[in-house]
Amino acid sequence: MRVPLSWLRELVDLDQGPDELAHLLTMGGLEVDHVAHPTAGIRGVVVAEVQSREPVEGSDKLHRALVTDGRATYQMIAGAANFDAGDRVPAALPGARLPTPSGPLEIGRKTLFGQTSEGMLASLAELGLGDDHAGIWVLDGDAPLGVDLAEWLALDDAVLVLEVTPDRGYGLSLSGVARDVAALTGAPLRLPSAPPAPEVDPGVRVDLADPQACPRFTVRRIEGVDARRASPAWAQARLVAAGMRPISAVVDATNLAMLETGHPCHAYDAQRLVGGRLGVRRAHEGESLVTLDEVERACDPDDLLIVDDAGPVGFAGVMGGARTEVDEATTTIALETAAFDPRSVLRTARRHQLLTEASQRFEKTVPPQTVAAAADRAAQLIAEFSGGRVTAGSDAYPAPPEPVTIPLVPARARSLLGIDLPDLAQRRLLASIGCEVGEPDPESGALPVVPPDYRPDLTIPADLVEELARLHGYEQIPESVPSAGRVGGRLPAEAGERVARRALSGAGWTELLTLPFVADDDVAALRLPDDDARRELIALVNPLSKDEAALRTSLLPGMLKAVRRNVARQLRDVAVFEVGRVFLPPTPAEPGAPLGPGEDGFALPAEPLHLGLVATGRFRADRFDDEGRPADVYDLLGAIDALRSALGREALDVRPTDEAPYHPGRAARLGLGGIELGVVGELHPRVVEAFDLPPRALAGEVRLDRLVADGVVAPELATPSPLPALRIDVAVVVAEDVPAAQVEAAVRDGAGALLAEASLFDVFRGAQVGEGAKSLAYRLRLESAERQLTDADGAAVIDAIEERVRARLGGSLRR
Amino acid sequence: MADHDPPTVDDVVAARDAGLAALAAAGDLEALDEAKRVHLGKRSALAGLQRGLGALDDAARREVGRALNEARQTLAEAEAARREELEAERDRVQLAAEAVDVTLPPRTPPRGALHPVRETIDALLDTFTGLGYPPVTGPEVESEWHNFEALNIPADHPARGLMDTLYVQGLGAEPDQVGITPMLLRTHTSPVQARVLRAQEPPVYIVVPGRVYRSDVADATHLPAFHQIEGLAVDRELSFADLRGTLAAAVRSLLGPEVPIRLRPHHFQFTEPSCEVDAYYDGRWMELLGAGMVHPNVLAACGVDPEAWQGFAFGMGPERLAMMRHGVTDIRQFVDGDLRFLSAQTTVSP
Repeated sequence: MRVPLSWLRELVDLDQGPDELAHLLTMGGLEVDHVAHPTAGIRGVVVAEVQSREPVEGSDKLHRALVTDGRATYQMIAGAANFDAGDRVPAALPGARLPTPSGPLEIGRKTLFGQTSEGMLASLAELGLGDDHAGIWVLDGDAPLGVDLAEWLALDDAVLVLEVTPDRGYGLSLSGVARDVAALTGAPLRLPSAPPAPEVDPGVRVDLADPQACPRFTVRRIEGVDARRASPAWAQARLVAAGMRPISAVVDATNLAMLETGHPCHAYDAQRLVGGRLGVRRAHEGESLVTLDEVERACDPDDLLIVDDAGPVGFAGVMGGARTEVDEATTTIALETAAFDPRSVLRTARRHQLLTEASQRFEKTVPPQTVAAAADRAAQLIAEFSGGRVTAGSDAYPAPPEPVTIPLVPARARSLLGIDLPDLAQRRLLASIGCEVGEPDPESGALPVVPPDYRPDLTIPADLVEELARLHGYEQIPESVPSAGRVGGRLPAEAGERVARRALSGAGWTELLTLPFVADDDVAALRLPDDDARRELIALVNPLSKDEAALRTSLLPGMLKAVRRNVARQLRDVAVFEVGRVFLPPTPAEPGAPLGPGEDGFALPAEPLHLGLVATGRFRADRFDDEGRPADVYDLLGAIDALRSALGREALDVRPTDEAPYHPGRAARLGLGGIELGVVGELHPRVVEAFDLPPRALAGEVRLDRLVADGVVAPELATPSPLPALRIDVAVVVAEDVPAAQVEAAVRDGAGALLAEASLFDVFRGAQVGEGAKSLAYRLRLESAERQLTDADGAAVIDAIEERVRARLGGSLRR
Repeated sequence: MADHDPPTVDDVVAARDAGLAALAAAGDLEALDEAKRVHLGKRSALAGLQRGLGALDDAARREVGRALNEARQTLAEAEAARREELEAERDRVQLAAEAVDVTLPPRTPPRGALHPVRETIDALLDTFTGLGYPPVTGPEVESEWHNFEALNIPADHPARGLMDTLYVQGLGAEPDQVGITPMLLRTHTSPVQARVLRAQEPPVYIVVPGRVYRSDVADATHLPAFHQIEGLAVDRELSFADLRGTLAAAVRSLLGPEVPIRLRPHHFQFTEPSCEVDAYYDGRWMELLGAGMVHPNVLAACGVDPEAWQGFAFGMGPERLAMMRHGVTDIRQFVDGDLRFLSAQTTVSP
C-alpha cells in the first residue's frame, strides 16, 4: 500500500515529517517498508496550453507543437500525438528539471530534424509518476494556465510504502492509516463523508443467493455521466503516487474511493446489464467470463460470480467483465459496492491468477458495516469527476452482523503484557481506535468492549491485548528473564550428534548440507537392487522441478553431486560429510511420528538421521617432502572409528560386503554392539561413472541416530599397573583369504587377560611364508597389576596364540 | 728441575703456568682433553710434585702442599672455563649447519570444517540451553493438523496453498482435486510446539531446531529447504515482558552484550500479540526473528487451558543469522557444498 503523505495530511491533522511518521506507524503496527520520493527534484514544469500541433516533416513520429504558458509561446517537439490544440499539458520549460531514478535531469533546448525544441512536453512517467510513457499527460481543462505543476499538485511529495499484515486490512486504505495515525498521536481526524444516495429504486434488482459469501450488496445509480472525460489532474497525480494508473473519470473515481475508504467498488454501464439485474452466486458448470483484460476465463464451480440475466458480469471482488464495462458511450452507471467472503475471493483470485487491488483488499476482510458509506463516497466522486448526478441507491443487507462484545479482563491484560497498565489507561487506549468500552462486569471485572466497524480483525481478548500493547508502545515493554525452573542441557542424542560432528571435522572431514530432494534417476544411478528400501521414493505433489520430485532415501545422490561440482572447479581432494534425515516408508520397527487428532488413513514416514561421507583424491595432501596419499576405504573406516571413540563406544564390528552402490571387494558393513550401522567403501566403478566422479571415489552412509542414541558414554578409567610391562611380537601365517579381523581376534584371545594393547605392524607376503599365504605381525604389550611379568609369561602367551591360530584358522606362527 | 729434588713452591708455580698456557692454547675439545691429561692427570707435573711432598719437613710440606692445592684448583677452573668456550664454539658451528627454513609450509594435520549454519544453530542452542530450554526435534514430513490446524491456520488460509507449501503423497495420503494432501513438508518448526504440548503437561520450556520447507525456487535470498529455531515457554505467569527479556538475552549472547533490540508489532496466526524483533547491528536495524504470546486457540487445540496457562513462542532463521555473521550475500552457498566456501573454520560456539 502506497500512502502519499499530502493525501494523508488531508485526512488527519499531523505535523510529523515522512521519516518520523514512518517510524511511528512501523512501531504502531503498520510497517512502513520505505519512504519513496518518486517526484523529488521536479522543478520548472508549468501548465501550458497547446496552440497547434503538426507532424514534423521527414519524421513519422515527431510532432511540432506551439504551446503557451500565458506569458510566452514555445516550440516543443513531442514524440506522441495524443494531444490537440486547446489541451492543457505539462511543459518542462528550458532550465526545468525532471526526476529520474538516477537523479534530476536538466531540460534545455535541442534540435531534432532541423527543428528546435524549447524544452519538452511531459508524460506521467517523465514526471516521476508511475510508468506510463504512452503519451503526453493531458491535464483537465480546469488546470490553471502557467502555474507551477509541482506546486499545484503537491508533487514534491513523500510516499509511505506500507507492508500491511493480513490481520490489518484497514491499513489498505488512506482512512484506515489516518485512523491509526490519529490513535497513535492524538491528532484530529478529518475523514470525508458523502451524503447518502436517495433511497429510490436504482433500476437494478439485486439477488443474493448466498448471504454467507456476500453479506451485503449496494447499488448506486449515477446518471448524466460524461464517460469521455478524464479525471482532474490532482486525482490522476494522487492515483499514480498511490501506484495506480489513471484511466478515465469514472474508473479513477472508483479507484480513488477505494484507496480512501478501503472498499473496492465496480462501475457497470447500467444500460448493458441484461434484465436490469445483478445477482451473486457460485458459477455453473461450463460458464465462462471475458474479464476486463479481454481474456476469456472458464469459471470454476467454486468461483463467486456477479451475474445479470445473460450470465456472468464479473468475478465477485476480483475483476469485472468486458461485456458490461463502462466506455465512452456510457451515460448511466450502476455502481456496485459490496462485501464478500475473503476466502472465496482469495480462491478465485489465485485460481485465475488475478491478484487485483480489489482482491487484495477483500482477502483481508472488508467489513459489511461500512459498505454503504463507502458506496456513497464513490458515487459522489464519480458524479463530481464525470459531471453526473447520484439519483438512486439500494442496499441488500439481509442479516447485519450482531456487534461483537469482547470481554477484556484488565488484570489479565496486565499479566500477559507484564506491564502495569491501569484500567483507565486501557479504556483510553481502546477508545482511541474507536472501541466502545462499557462498565466492568462486577464479578469477573471484565470490560465489555465493542470494536469499531473498521476493525473486523478484533474478535477475542488476545486481539485487544495486542492493541493495548501497540498503542501503549512495544518499546514500553520492560525486559525480564524468567527462570525455566531447571537446568538446561542437551539430550544425550543431541550431545552425541554434536560430538560426532566435531570429531569428524577434527579428523579432516568438512561438513556440507545439500537439499534433501532427489529424482528417480539419482537413485537409479546408485544401481540398487529392486527390493532395496531406498528405491521406494516418497513423492512431492508439487515439486519445484523434476529433479526435486521426491524426498531423499539416501544422502549419497545429493552429496555425490556436490562433490562433482567441486571436482569440476578443480577442487579434487575432497573429504566431506553430511548429517541429515532420510525419508523412508514407516515399518513396525521404525514407525513415523504420530498423527494429529482426527487424522487417519495415512502415515508419516520414518526419518532416520544419517551420516554420509564422500572422499575423492588425496586424503593426505601432497607436500614438497611427502607425496601424500590417496583416500582409501581405511580413511572412511578411520572416520567412523574416530567418531565412535569420541562417543566413548566400543570397537566397531567390520565385515566385508559386496552390496550396491559399492565396489564388491572394497566395502565394509559396520556394526556396533550388535546394531547395524551401515556401509562404507569404494564406490562401484559404474556408480562413479554415473555420477561423473574421479576414479576410486569413496562413500559411506551410516545410521548416526543409532550411534549417538546413548550420547557420549563416559569411559571407565582404571588405575594403570605400576609394574613394568612386557613387549612381545608375534607373526601369524595364515591363508590369504583369512580376514585380518579373525587373526586379531585369535591373537587377542590367546594373549588373554594380560593383554594391554595389540597392534598390527607388518603384513608380509613372499617365499618365506609360501604361496597363497600371508604373515601378519602384531606387537603386544602385556601388563599385570599383581606381579612382575617374566619371559615365561611371554612364552606362555605365544603358545596360547599359536594354539588358537592353528585350531581356528589353520595357520601357524613364524618363530 | 730434577725428578728427585724436593719440590718447591716455585716448581708448583712453574707447573701451574705451563698448564694454564697449555689449556689456553687448546684449540678444540680434543686438544683440551689432552692438555687436561698432561697437566692435571696422574702423570702431570703437579702429580709428580705431590709425590715429592713426603721428602719435605712439616713446614715446607704445608707451604708447598697449599701451593699445590691452589694450583690444581686454578687449573681445574681454567679447564672448565676453556671447555665451556670450546663447547659453545662447537655448538655454534654444528647447529648453524643444521639450520632449516622455518618459513617452509607447515605440516598441518588434515582438518575439516563445520557448516556455518549448523554452527549458528549450535550457538543458539547453547544460548537457550543456558536459559534452561532443552532442544527437542520433530518430524520434517508433518501432518496437516500439526503444521496448520493446531497453529490456528484455517483450511483456506493462503499459506496452505500449493504456492507456499510442498505437499507429500503416498503412504495413504492422496491429493484432493487441488493437489492438497494431509501430509506435507513442515513450513515451520512450530508443529513441534503442538507435539510437545500434547505430550507433556506445562510448564514447558523447549527450543526446537530443524529443517523447514517452502515452495520457493532457490534464489539469492530463498531456499526451498532451510532451518529454523523455535522456542516455546508455557507457564502460569509468563508475559510479553518475559518474552522481550528472553530474546534480548539471547540476541546479546549471540551478537554482543551492548546490542540494542526492539520489538515491532507484527502478525502471526499462532501468536497474539505478535512482534518482530530487530537488533541494531552493523549500523542499522536488522530483522532477526518473529515472536509473540502463544495464541489461546493454539493452547486450546493442544489440550492446554488458555485460562490457566500462558506463554510465548519465537522463531528465527539460522541462515539469516549466519549470513549476517559471516557476510554471506547469497543463501544458495549454504547448500552448494563448495569447499572454497565451507573450508573456512566457522566454529562460533565457545
